[in-house]
Amino acid sequence: MTITEAKTVLMLYRPGMAEAEDPQMAEALALARKHPELAGWLEAHGTAQEVLAAKFKTIAPPPGLKEQIISEHEASRRAVAKRPALLVAAIAVLLLAGTTAILWMPWQARPPEKTLALYRNDMASIALRVYAMELMTNEPGPVHDYLTKSSAPDFTLSAPLQKAALAGCAVETWQGAKVSLVCFRTGKPLPPGAASDLWLFVVDRASLKDAPGTAAPEFAKINKLITATWTQGDKVYLLGVEGDEPDIKPYLD
Amino acid sequence: MPHDVEFESLVERFYAPLYQFAFSLTRVEADACDLTQQTFTIWAKKGHQLRDASKVKTWLFTTLHREFLDSRRRQTRFPHFELDAAEAELPVVSPAAVSGLDIAQVLNTLASVDEVFQAPVALFYLQDCSYNEIAEILGVPLGTVKSRLARGIGQLQRLLARDIAANQRRSNL
Repeated sequence: MTITEAKTVLMLYRPGMAEAEDPQMAEALALARKHPELAGWLEAHGTAQEVLAAKFKTIAPPPGLKEQIISEHEASRRAVAKRPALLVAAIAVLLLAGTTAILWMPWQARPPEKTLALYRNDMASIALRVYAMELMTNEPGPVHDYLTKSSAPDFTLSAPLQKAALAGCAVETWQGAKVSLVCFRTGKPLPPGAASDLWLFVVDRASLKDAPGTAAPEFAKINKLITATWTQGDKVYLLGVEGDEPDIKPYLD
Repeated sequence: MPHDVEFESLVERFYAPLYQFAFSLTRVEADACDLTQQTFTIWAKKGHQLRDASKVKTWLFTTLHREFLDSRRRQTRFPHFELDAAEAELPVVSPAAVSGLDIAQVLNTLASVDEVFQAPVALFYLQDCSYNEIAEILGVPLGTVKSRLARGIGQLQRLLARDIAANQRRSNL
């Protein structure tokens, strides 16, 4: 390790933090112990960093913030609790619906597990619930790299999707198969906690028993999500966005 | 009720570091309060989905950061940086000169650093999170965090050195 390389590593040194035990950091620190010039640089740099860190620690929450957070939480809970009649009614409707469904449902064997319908439902559920975006980037290159490194299916984007704002990606698992999730933003305001609102799922065609036969998209509405599914090469693509067919068509070839 | 006790102890434990992070990003007290409060509101609704209790801290910081990004509704794209060597020649800012700056000046300077570096640099100096946790919060690989930190700290130091020199020139006049 050269002095310059050691400085690059030591620039991130925070005494007392876990990273001090990082082998690269340990090597740079060992070099500093032997090299007076590097030791002098580290001392001056470290002291300045400590002063800066201490300044960040002077940021103090305004008085009452903690109490405000707790009291608003309480108020929100009380508001929900004041609606017992509504809750009872909702539970009654759910029970009735459940009982009716059971009574009307014909006895049948479990549906095949690897159907397109099930896959579509499961992917819609992933898109609509809180999921962890494993890589957040606006550049397609790192997304391809990340999926390749994760042994997840790679993808080819339609021309309109190439122009959409990429937000990142994640790798999901479905029935033992890896599914690539590529996240975009439509540009509409996002709901709280959401990082994207347009999702592309890619899975190997062999993972589905009844994969679509053509590149022509099949549309299906799952809850508030409109989905388009098509096959391209050995991959099945599923694109989802909140809305109806006119909302998803601009993103298809 | 246990759930309330849990919520209150969570607020007690994390509201200050979350506020510090929020203020480092927004530099406005009201916005930082809103972000902190919103983070706990989301926790109250969705926190039960978190299965790994050890991830509460990173979950809260991640949520706050996402809320910040969403509130900005940034339309511009930011580049993805891979780990590479930081620029070698960094000005060492003298500790005495840094001591003369107040936190508002430091945060104003941080706001001039490239946007993609601001959150990791703030988390670095707040010292609540390890590099792995920062990577998790920002949703980027560890190498990218180190690269962003090296570049961000380098930029901050250069800008601080420039500000300090300008202050000294003004005081010499």
